[in-house]
Amino acid sequence: MRDSNLPPTLGWRLFSVWYRHMRVYTRNLISNGLPPFLEPVIFLLGVGLGLGRYINQMEGVRYIVFLATALPITSAMFTSAYECTFGTFVRMEFQKSYDGLIAAPVTVQDIFVGEILWAGTKGLFFSACVVLVMSLFGAIPMPTGLFAVPVGFLTGAMFGALSLVVTSFVRNINHFNFYFTGLLSPMFFFSGTIFPLDSLPRALRPVAELLPLTHAVRLARGTAMFHLSWILLVDLAFLVVVTTVAATVAIRRLRGRIVV
Amino acid sequence: MSDEPVIVFENVHKSYRKVKAVDGISFDVPPGICFGLLGRNGAGKSTIMRILYRKAERDRLPKSRVSVFGFDPEEDELAIKCRSGVVPQDDNLDDELNVRQNLLIFAQLYGMPRQRADARIAELLEFMELHEKADAAIRELSGGMKRRLVIVRALLNEPRLLILDEPTTGLDPQVRHTIWEKLRQLKRGGLTIMLTTHYMEEAFQLCDDVLIVESGKAVLRGNPKLLVERSIEPYVLELTDAKLAPQVLAKVDQGQARVEKSNESVRVYGGAYESLRSVADGLPPGDYHLRPSTLEDVFLKATGRRLDARQ
Repeated sequence: MRDSNLPPTLGWRLFSVWYRHMRVYTRNLISNGLPPFLEPVIFLLGVGLGLGRYINQMEGVRYIVFLATALPITSAMFTSAYECTFGTFVRMEFQKSYDGLIAAPVTVQDIFVGEILWAGTKGLFFSACVVLVMSLFGAIPMPTGLFAVPVGFLTGAMFGALSLVVTSFVRNINHFNFYFTGLLSPMFFFSGTIFPLDSLPRALRPVAELLPLTHAVRLARGTAMFHLSWILLVDLAFLVVVTTVAATVAIRRLRGRIVV
Repeated sequence: MSDEPVIVFENVHKSYRKVKAVDGISFDVPPGICFGLLGRNGAGKSTIMRILYRKAERDRLPKSRVSVFGFDPEEDELAIKCRSGVVPQDDNLDDELNVRQNLLIFAQLYGMPRQRADARIAELLEFMELHEKADAAIRELSGGMKRRLVIVRALLNEPRLLILDEPTTGLDPQVRHTIWEKLRQLKRGGLTIMLTTHYMEEAFQLCDDVLIVESGKAVLRGNPKLLVERSIEPYVLELTDAKLAPQVLAKVDQGQARVEKSNESVRVYGGAYESLRSVADGLPPGDYHLRPSTLEDVFLKATGRRLDARQ
């Protein structure tokens, strides 16, 4: 039998934190599990049927396919951003969950790495739901469309880490509105999601290249269309580097909020 | 079991900007005792508790040392946490989960196999008289049940040290006495207990050793029964109407008694019951109370009666 005086391994600690979030999330399976299926359906009906009549092609593919290859990724972005802003803030300031967790054999780093992995998992789940719905409508090429699922994980982890950095600065829960309206909404429109980056004014294109969502969308679309090129490796590296840097900053700053 | 102290605090400081929450505290806790930290709100009790499991970090000073089971919290927090159970001041339970699920999350964090976790949870819920609530939602629990549940959570991994930050604050007398009984049982089983409290009765009932802290400094330390015997006059005559003061003070032999006076009340501390009795003669019954001194009197003598800015 395991010696109870021996701390669990790093892998176990991360899994335990992840497991805590998973248990809490799956407690309300219907209210939490239905939206990721409903949202893409609504989007397809609203945009695909309406707008799609006027726009036939974009970048040489049907407009609906152009959209469908990006939507799993934006869905992953929004769910992980909510999880690691409002979710984290409520756990930290109102429920005091971290004050309880930190009494168990886990470090602050374990708690937030586990949380980023959970954000990635939610990204994976949401993008998988969108891919499933899109494939039923024949809007996403299969099986290459399935690449969007692991990209959804990376997107979730990246926006989880970035959102934790934002949360580490926020003292008033209403301030998250600036992040969602000021950063995430523009990113949704200007990252090659609903129109190609080429349509942007020349001066804005380099700016779009700095947006994390741009790289996630390009990676998902490129793999779904099976237009493989070295650019996709750059996109992948971008996601990994941004996630790592953001996670490091977030953990250092949140430490100061938990360990006083 | 060795007699090495479970906790060693040596010249520990902790500052928050300009406030010194802990200002050069030293003490040690031998195994198997119940050690109590007493002090008013803001005296530094909770900070001391948090330093034990690195919920707070002490100031880095060369001659300062903290050791729990021989580990420094800032170097080996995990080794300390898997040997200790913590009951923080707030009940931070997960409202979304029920009683058993809350405990299972922690069993998982401790790395307990599921079968052992189930057995341990059943045993501890029974011990804390919560077994009927195993599948209840957290919001259905009373304050006392939540507190007992947090204690169960802290005991899951069979700790050798239990850290309790105000375990019975805000609870009714029945619950408080039940918790005391359970803590006594645990102590008999060899568990070392460290607690903070505002309730002198609690410290008197449970603790083998108490440390009174004031503004981050140690003021008085000792066995509570011995403190009452040695650090305060044995009897006190309390008057809750200050108007009676002149009448009483005229009769008090200043060499024999010590008088504490505030706007609304007077307390006369003395060594001889009979002489205080004679001071009280002639006072309207119901306006005075002659009683043996308690730990609360020791505490107030050591820390003063007035409120300070941190309260």
